Amino acid sequence: MIKMQLNPLIQRKLIRFRSLRRGYWAFLFLFLAFLLSLGAELLVNKRALIVCYEGEYFFPSYGAQIPGEQFGLNYGYETNYRELKQIFHDQAGGNWVLLPPIPYDPYEMDYRDTDSTGFSAPDWKTRHILGTDKTERDVLARLVYGFRIAFTFALGYLFLTYLLAIAAGSILGYFGGKADMFGLRLVEIWSNVPFLYMVIILASVMPGWWGSGWQISALLMIMVLFSWTGMTYYVRSAVYKEKAKDYIASAEVIGAGPCRIIFRHLLPNVISTLVTFAPFTVAAAISSITALDFLGYGLPAPTPSWGELLKQGVNNLRVAPWIVASAAGALVLTLTLVTFVGEAVREAFDPKKFSTYQ
Amino acid sequence: MNIPKKKHSRPFIFTALYLLSFLGGCEDNTLKRPEPVNSSDGPIETSPALNKADRAYIRELAREFANEFRKEIGSSVPSIHKNQSLDISLSEESSGLLDELGNAHPLLDHCTEAVLEFYLQHKDAFVISNIDQLPKNLQWENGSREEEFSSPDAIRGGTWKTFMSDFPRTLRTIGPDANGAFRRYLLDYNGVGLVMTHPNSDGYYPGLAKRWALGEDGRTVYFQLDNDARYSDGKPVRASDFFFTFYFMRSKHLQAPWYNDFYGKDKFLKITLFNESILSITYHSAKPDLVERVSIRSIPEHFYDELGSDYLAKYQWTQEPTTGPYVVRQEDINKGQSVALTRLPNWWADHKKFYRNRYNPDRIMVQVIRDPSKAFEVFLKGDIDMFSLSKTSYWYEKLPNDHDLVSNGYLTKVTFFNQVPPPTYALRINSSKPPFDDLNVRIGFQHAMNFELVLEKIFRGDFERMRTVADGYGMRSHPTLRARKFSVDLATAFFAKAGYHSRGKDGILVNDAGQRLSVELLTGYKHLEDVLVVLREEAKKAGLDLKLKILESTAAFKTASEKNHQVVFSAFNSFVELFPRFWEPYHSDNAYSPGGQKKFNADGSIRSDAIVKTSTNNFTQTAVLKIDQLIDQYRVEESLEEITDMAHQLSKMIHDHAVYVPGWKKPWLRMGHWNWVAFPEDWGPRETRDYEEFQVFWIDDDKRLRIDGARKSGQKIEGLSGVRVYEKHRNKL
Repeated sequence: MIKMQLNPLIQRKLIRFRSLRRGYWAFLFLFLAFLLSLGAELLVNKRALIVCYEGEYFFPSYGAQIPGEQFGLNYGYETNYRELKQIFHDQAGGNWVLLPPIPYDPYEMDYRDTDSTGFSAPDWKTRHILGTDKTERDVLARLVYGFRIAFTFALGYLFLTYLLAIAAGSILGYFGGKADMFGLRLVEIWSNVPFLYMVIILASVMPGWWGSGWQISALLMIMVLFSWTGMTYYVRSAVYKEKAKDYIASAEVIGAGPCRIIFRHLLPNVISTLVTFAPFTVAAAISSITALDFLGYGLPAPTPSWGELLKQGVNNLRVAPWIVASAAGALVLTLTLVTFVGEAVREAFDPKKFSTYQ
Repeated sequence: MNIPKKKHSRPFIFTALYLLSFLGGCEDNTLKRPEPVNSSDGPIETSPALNKADRAYIRELAREFANEFRKEIGSSVPSIHKNQSLDISLSEESSGLLDELGNAHPLLDHCTEAVLEFYLQHKDAFVISNIDQLPKNLQWENGSREEEFSSPDAIRGGTWKTFMSDFPRTLRTIGPDANGAFRRYLLDYNGVGLVMTHPNSDGYYPGLAKRWALGEDGRTVYFQLDNDARYSDGKPVRASDFFFTFYFMRSKHLQAPWYNDFYGKDKFLKITLFNESILSITYHSAKPDLVERVSIRSIPEHFYDELGSDYLAKYQWTQEPTTGPYVVRQEDINKGQSVALTRLPNWWADHKKFYRNRYNPDRIMVQVIRDPSKAFEVFLKGDIDMFSLSKTSYWYEKLPNDHDLVSNGYLTKVTFFNQVPPPTYALRINSSKPPFDDLNVRIGFQHAMNFELVLEKIFRGDFERMRTVADGYGMRSHPTLRARKFSVDLATAFFAKAGYHSRGKDGILVNDAGQRLSVELLTGYKHLEDVLVVLREEAKKAGLDLKLKILESTAAFKTASEKNHQVVFSAFNSFVELFPRFWEPYHSDNAYSPGGQKKFNADGSIRSDAIVKTSTNNFTQTAVLKIDQLIDQYRVEESLEEITDMAHQLSKMIHDHAVYVPGWKKPWLRMGHWNWVAFPEDWGPRETRDYEEFQVFWIDDDKRLRIDGARKSGQKIEGLSGVRVYEKHRNKL
């Protein structure tokens, strides 16, 4: 239904964005990182990439888990591929295993030997490049999968808050008058509901039989529900401003209905305002979810999350400094990059460069 | 169109910062919950939340006591009314409270009208008799066979510096807010009761009573008061104070229903005064630990001239005269900061056996330090003398054995093996919720819980696996029973018996109906998340999917109380008692209504119209007719041998019912102390739960100066060992 063409103005803005090197590279980097994290199963996983057993090839990365019995081991649960690799190596019978570069998944506790009771320091040999956490889970694996979840979460958050904000803002701005006056009051009231308490309350009554996917979605919904209002004001004022311009009047004169005017004429012109906010919204979403996790109201345990890592790190600052270093480093890096993107977008979309005032 | 650039993101960032600013406190809150358990050995944290929860717990207990009583006596006495007495009353005249002229008996002539009126109203329970009426053949005991548990080397004097996490809300020991951590200094570790339980044996030692004797009926205990016994204001302890204790404890003005109930006339049937120093107390049943049950404390009648609705406000900041050695002087209350206690110079029990060489410091300085990690730093600085090191992180990481303070001989780390019923850390399976209504699933579940790995990796082999539902009760604990071991083969075999044959794509077992073997594990212990994470990952091997539901502790407790859980991970503090309790957690009356046998079908299964009973401690919804019957017998049984035997049988039956996955127990307490604090040779008595409890240590101020001096110059002090283990009471099993 929404059919928006990039108008020449926006195209010019995009060209301008590409010319801002810092922001553009940051954007590319983030985009690539997110793409890579989507395929994280191939890079950071306890499951092998390829197993060659008795001439047969297996690709365990995706799909059903393969029990140890399949490879001649004596257990019916999922194969431990690191052990399998060692066994094949010792047997030297032509069977082989190709493990991902980081052969750990974010849930698995790697209790290798009697000394491993949590907090192993970074070590290239064991492939725990960033060390392990309190239950010997690989910090890098948790960071990577945590990033994937946080970023997906942030994008979902961005999309949904904008959807709500644009809908509400356009209605208020376009229709104006009483709709605006009452609608805006409602928005104000809603925005004064204390966000943190609502999250805490709702998070605690969430039924536990929901899978973690549902719980994360529910958390996303709650966060969206209580934070879309901020954006509404901007949409509303931008719509107000555009509405007063001649092209809208012409459209009305031709006989276009409100729907057509809003979607075909208003939104493409308002969107530039919104785009400048997008990266900051992403940054805010990432830091919110991290903060909520830190407090224990975020993602359900044991979902990998940055906030949880950060908390472990802070609590064990002296014992395991690598945890806080990794988590804080990753967080700072991501937020900085997002901010670079944001600044570039803002500059590229700066109306001073493109608008002419009558 | 020039938009201020980051305005929109500000609320979020503020939220984030606001959230982040909570860092310090958030994890520790989870530890502060008293209910179900406070896991540390050290001073119990208090907070408003604790007090509230504590009171809720006490109300809960009160209700249970009431239920228990109704069950026991209810059949013979339809209902017990406030003013209606049990049918054991003596005739009107023989109560002896008044003489022929209507004047109070000389033992009671100091009583106010209201108090006297109360006694008269319950004259079947308050009796003044004649010394001639005292049974002649009483076997008096005075605990002389018991050994002292203090050290003759102890030195009196010095100041003991300790801390509490919150300023006490009151100096009362009863009523709202009185149950905080500070009460231990006023009452729990300070006051003296009629007779005290000996912490190294099953026997007793004298308290306010210098000797005691068991009556022939098995329900009455006779006490002879120690004439030296004095309150801290110098007034003697009078026999009539034990009458007054009941008047006081049953008063509604206290706003303490638990005490109202505990001292109720359904439990204490009769108190008889024979003369100014001999009295007897009659309990409702003849329990083997009767002496302990009736060893109440005395309430100084002269202090409470009138007990009215202003009780709470009037006594908020005044300490009741105590029979113990320490008092709070008004000038030592520094509101919000600290409270100091001063030792009485001539305490009445100073030179008595079992009391000498204890309570050694002249002053106890209790300062408020709200943050435990800050308290720990203060301890390392030397401004707190002792600190609990029970948490693995304190023992291994924050104060390792090679820490300078330890290796230089300034500080000692102590592991003391004690013997007390441990808090029951366990998984409780709700047997009324599918799939746990199938015994095979429950047994499979038991075998799928890798507590061995938890103990080895998370607790580093320091804890022991709990064995039964009733560990730590000496002879009363089952001698050979063990918790089921982790075994993927056994677990999957039992799951297969229950119809879960094949593994799904994710490795989780499914039954023929396509249902995954997925259960929810509820807990309120955020700080024990690691344990559950390990259990979860290991359970996957057995094809079991554990969904963790880690809630805030009140919410978790509520969910479990409503029996809405499948499995709950929790712990309850056990009382130091002679024999364990089974009725509360395993009797069907606490699982379903209606009570009694009506809830069962002829084949022993639960009737479909039975209603789940909420807010009870039967978190496993155990309702087995045979277990019920044995518990009913167990509760009325009076012979200790029979009780022991039944306790073993019950432990075994509950083990076979497989609703309780025993977790772990700490066989020791661990603490650190500066070396100016000295302890007896054995460190402390067997039943020590808390290093402050029996106060057998002493402070050596000369050593304090020496250590302070050595610290300044960084010198090592030879001869003071840094790490000590006391294994005398270690369970050799």
